[in-house]
Amino acid sequence: MIKNTVVRRVLFRIVLLTVISLAFVWGISEIAFQFQKTDKDRAPQEVELVIPIGTAERIEKGEENPSIPAEMSFVVGDTLVVTNEDVVDHVMGPLWIPPGTSASLKLEQANKFAYSCSFQTTQYFGVDVETPTTWKTRITAFSLSVPATVGFLFVYSLILWPINPESKKDKDSKEELGSESQVTG
Amino acid sequence: MKTRHYLLLGLSVLIGLVAILGFQFIGKNYQFQGSLIEPPIPAADFVLTDQHSDTFQLSDHQGEVVLIFFGYTYCPDVCPVTLSEFRQVKAQLGEKAERVQFVYITVDPDRDTVERVGEFIENFDSTFVGLTGDPSELEPVWKAYGVYAAKVDTGSEAGYLVDHTARVYAIDINGNLRLTYPFETGSDAIADDVLYLLGEEITSETPSS
Repeated sequence: MIKNTVVRRVLFRIVLLTVISLAFVWGISEIAFQFQKTDKDRAPQEVELVIPIGTAERIEKGEENPSIPAEMSFVVGDTLVVTNEDVVDHVMGPLWIPPGTSASLKLEQANKFAYSCSFQTTQYFGVDVETPTTWKTRITAFSLSVPATVGFLFVYSLILWPINPESKKDKDSKEELGSESQVTG
Repeated sequence: MKTRHYLLLGLSVLIGLVAILGFQFIGKNYQFQGSLIEPPIPAADFVLTDQHSDTFQLSDHQGEVVLIFFGYTYCPDVCPVTLSEFRQVKAQLGEKAERVQFVYITVDPDRDTVERVGEFIENFDSTFVGLTGDPSELEPVWKAYGVYAAKVDTGSEAGYLVDHTARVYAIDINGNLRLTYPFETGSDAIADDVLYLLGEEITSETPSS
């Protein structure tokens, strides 16, 4: 009976502290995120780069194509889809893009790359890949913080409000019995 | 709330999470791990000589997945690594590898004779196909597959090196060029994609180059 009461009280306290910790950690996480977020804190997505018709001709003449940037920024997990609208093959790093097709490159590592390419006069295309703060990152941080907070609050609560193995009802009935025995004695 | 209620609540949450993850996994379409060429284009046909001095024509292999790599037998790094990767892919495919052609095409016809290619291929797997030919036969193939090859004089007695494209090309069972893989993609990724390509239906249309 006593054991059962203790387990029930411990479980109740853990559930209560979990709810409190969830709210507390969420609040702290949200405030920190709002202060630190940038435009690169987004979920991975598909980013298209179009090589327009006539690009190879322009490059041969030493002219840049104004619609193609020299460098692009991405977040880890993005897929760069290069669409070749030109009449000849183009290459970009590991990608080979025959005319009229597109080829994709999944960017899985945060780093700055300089890919050799056929659509820039410099023959290099800069790719800057950064690690974003996404929902996944935040949930991972959340799932690591909540149990630790619950543990900390639980220990702290034991100091402030120790768990009594006897219920209030048991205590009252004991006190009653004690007073009765005093009367009869 | 009784202890049993707490346990039931925990169990329900666990089942819910497993269900959500399960639905996410089931709902996903197959994602190719190589660079997908969209729309697929008919793979340029070619006829070259294999290591047994027989002719090899690409279009004869419709109904099979063909993996092509361009290299040279004196290559110190990229080519042996890629052919070792081919060997791993073949092992991972098991019996299904019977429907896959692993093809090596030289970018160094001056030194890669039929015999030399045969010895080189034998080091990896005798079922692989090693192709060579005259420069006049090979150049249109290199061009059709966007292959870059340039001799680099090292000044050593070992002779020159060849700076070349190191990607692997995957041709599906309908003769379409579907995927390319950068150097060191990994055999798991290639084997997964090949298994998917082998499971596709053969269409009646014959690709023309």
